[in-house]
Order: sequence, then C-alpha cells, then structure tokens
Amino acid sequence: MNSIITGVIAIAILAFIGIVPRNKLIRLNVSVDEAWAQIEVQLKRRSDLIPNLVETVKGYAAHESKTFQAIVDARAKSTSATTVADVAAADGEMSKALRGLLAVTENYPDLKASSNFLALQEELSSTENKVSFARQFYNDNVRGLNTAIKTFPTNMFVNAAKVKERPFYEIDDPQDRKAPQVKF
Amino acid sequence: MDFRQLQSANKRKSGELLFGMGLLVGLVAWALLTYFGKTGIGVVPFAVGIALISVWGSYWASDKIVMTMTGAKIIQESDNKQLYGLVSEICIASGLPMPKVAIVEDSAPNAFATGRNPEHSVIAFTTGILSAMDREELQGVTAHELAHVANRDTLVSAIAATTAGAIAILTDFLMRIMIFGGGGRRDSNDSNQNPIAIVVSIVVLILAPIAALLLRLAISRKREALADVTAVEFTRNPAGLRRALEVLQKDSTVVHQRSTAVAHIWIESPLDSSATSKLFSTHPPLEERIATLRAMESGS
Repeated sequence: MNSIITGVIAIAILAFIGIVPRNKLIRLNVSVDEAWAQIEVQLKRRSDLIPNLVETVKGYAAHESKTFQAIVDARAKSTSATTVADVAAADGEMSKALRGLLAVTENYPDLKASSNFLALQEELSSTENKVSFARQFYNDNVRGLNTAIKTFPTNMFVNAAKVKERPFYEIDDPQDRKAPQVKF
Repeated sequence: MDFRQLQSANKRKSGELLFGMGLLVGLVAWALLTYFGKTGIGVVPFAVGIALISVWGSYWASDKIVMTMTGAKIIQESDNKQLYGLVSEICIASGLPMPKVAIVEDSAPNAFATGRNPEHSVIAFTTGILSAMDREELQGVTAHELAHVANRDTLVSAIAATTAGAIAILTDFLMRIMIFGGGGRRDSNDSNQNPIAIVVSIVVLILAPIAALLLRLAISRKREALADVTAVEFTRNPAGLRRALEVLQKDSTVVHQRSTAVAHIWIESPLDSSATSKLFSTHPPLEERIATLRAMESGS
C-alpha cells in the first residue's frame, strides 16, 4: 500500500518537473508570436500613412518622381513579404525610402511650414519609433526563447513543447545598426 | 556599463534591503519576547493588521488616490497626439499595456506613474515638463515612469511602507506600555533573561522605527536608480533620459503641492532637496543619476 502511494507521488513529482520547463518554452514561443504580430501591426500603420504623406509632399514637390517611385516600390514589396527575412528586408527598404523623402522635403520651406505636413511628420516619426521598438522587443523575445532552447533544463523539453529556434529580425540598414549618437 | 548588469545589481540591492526589513521585524519580535515575555506577542497581529489595512487600501486604489491628491486629469488621444504617441511607443518597447495618460496643471517640470498593476496604471506629466522638454527627453521620462510600472514599484513601496508602519505602531505601543505600565515586565516568571539582553531589547525598540524609515527610503532610492536603468533597456538611449534630468537639474521651480505623502512617486523629488540630507530623501541625487546614465552612454 505504502509503495503504491510512494509511486504515485514520485510520478506526480516527475510530471511536475517536466511540465514547468515545457510550459516555459511554450510561453516564450507565444511571446515571440505576439512580438511578431506587433511588428506587423506597426508596419501596417506605417504603410497606411504613406499615401497621405506622398500626396501632401506631391502638392509642393511634384517633380521628385524618383523619390515617390522608391516609396511605391518599397510598399509593394512589403505587402508580398511573409518570412521574417523578407519582411525585414522590405522594412529596411521602406525606412530608407522614407528617409529619402524627408530629405527631399528639406528643400521646400513652404511644405515644411504646412501644418498638415507637420502633423504627418510627427505621426511618421512616432510610427518609425514604434516600428523600431517592436523590432527590439521581438529580438529580445527571440533571444529569450533561443537561449531557453539551448540551455538546461529547458533544452530537454524542446520536442515535447514543439518549439524551435526563431530567426532574429535583422534589418539591412546601416543607419539602424549604428550605435546611438552621443550629443554633448 | 551595460544596463543588464546595472539592472541585476539594483534588483539585488533592493532585494537585500527588503530582506533587511524582514530582519528588522525579526529583531523587534525578539526584543518584544525578551522584554515582555510571551504575552507581548499578542500585540503583533494588531500592529501588523493596522499597518496592512492602512497601506493596502491606498495600494489598491493608488491610481485614484494619487490622481485626486495631485489633481491630475486623464486625457484622450485627441487631446495630445504627440504625448499619446510617446507613451504607446514605450509600451511597444516594454510589452506593457497602454496606461491611462494624465496631465497635471503645474508649471514645475515633473512626472509620475502609479497603479497597483500594469493594467491599472496611470502616467502623468505636468504641463511644465511638456513645455520644457523636447521629444527625445520626454521619451526618456516616459520610459523612466513606465519602468516603475514594469518593476511593480507601487507594490514594492507598499511592502516597505507596511513593514515600516507595523514596526512604528508596534514600538510606539510597547514604549507606552513601558512608560505608563510602570516599566513593569508583565510576566517575569517565563522571561528570566540576563540584564544585557533586556537593555539591548530596549535599545532595539527605541531605534527600530528610525531604522525602518531609513531602510524604506533606501529602498525608494534603489528603485529610482533601477527605473533609470530599466528606462534605458526600453529606449536603448541613455542620452534622452540624461538630458531630461539635466533639464530638471537646471530648473529651480518645484511642484506646488509639496505633500510629503506623494513625494516618492515623482520623477524628481518635489521637496526642497537642499533641506534634507541624502539619507532622508526618496530619490538619489540628480548628479549621481546623470553620472550613471553618462557611464552607460560611453559604455554601450
């Protein structure tokens, strides 16, 4: 009788020891999914801002067609991207194209003074921040998951939790890789 | 220095301080037992009960109470799009839910965040801070405030306040018994300790409330330092918060309502810093915070 109770307790303890790391892996995997969804939400927001921005700039600088074309191309590419690497590449291209557009606006004082453009510019820079914070948050979560997959004791339960290492969101844009500027 | 190292160092230190609080409670209980014998222990549940009720009521409703005390008004997204954008940016960086955003009509630059959990949090800015700082600086301030929310500092300070409060009530009660009870030890038959232990227990009872207060303030300062570091984790930009603190340093106006009750929740202490020494302040000195952030700028 006693040995049965001991056996049941032992099995319960073993099951518990297995469940905790497995649940941890699943939870980390879900948080990576959520962080990824946040990136997509913010990229979509930025994408939705673009027609309005382009129209506003066109009203003052209609002949800068090359800049506009770069943005339209980048936007088209971003809608078809699905994998992390593709989305990141399209995102990088879009960031570059938008910086090009903002650089062009420097030459049009009337445009820069228009209240419509100022509101758009604030919204764009806020969205750019949101996109880059979403990337950072995603990469932090991927780091957490990938570390758990490689380290003891969670590495024993990778198959049971049905998770695998996730790719980092690496954006191919030299401007974003630069360390933050220090201003004195 | 790396923010991850600083973060774990600050967490460890505030953990040690909370542990010190626990030790102090144990010490007071020992002094109690030594001086009064077993019947004295009966007072403990009362003291802890009173402290719990008074502190946890205010912890639970912290968002509403602080809003009333500071006169902060909740705003909508349409009221200040930039501020709302700033707060939601940091929410994305930290993974926190969007807090309520509030404004305090006050020309002194300051800000605070409170709430019992991230779902019930409020972040408030004075009109003074909104006009004194640029976007990057405000982002640093927002990150510092939301770092308090992420680190559950309302809970930490509630725990510290409860322990300090219980110790204060307990010792106050016992000192009264000692003085008005004719200095009589109630049941000397089961506490026949040596006189040194009796003297030590009296000293403990006298010094415990002061020690508890100092520990509580030290915890508050550590949590402020931790919030600065966590803010850098969110923004990866120490320069923003550092410049914001420099703006606060240059500014001599202080928040009008100088209630000590809510002093600890602001980003910069609203009380006159020169009047109190470092040991008795809720925040580390601004120079020290700026120096730490500067070290992080050059280190990363």
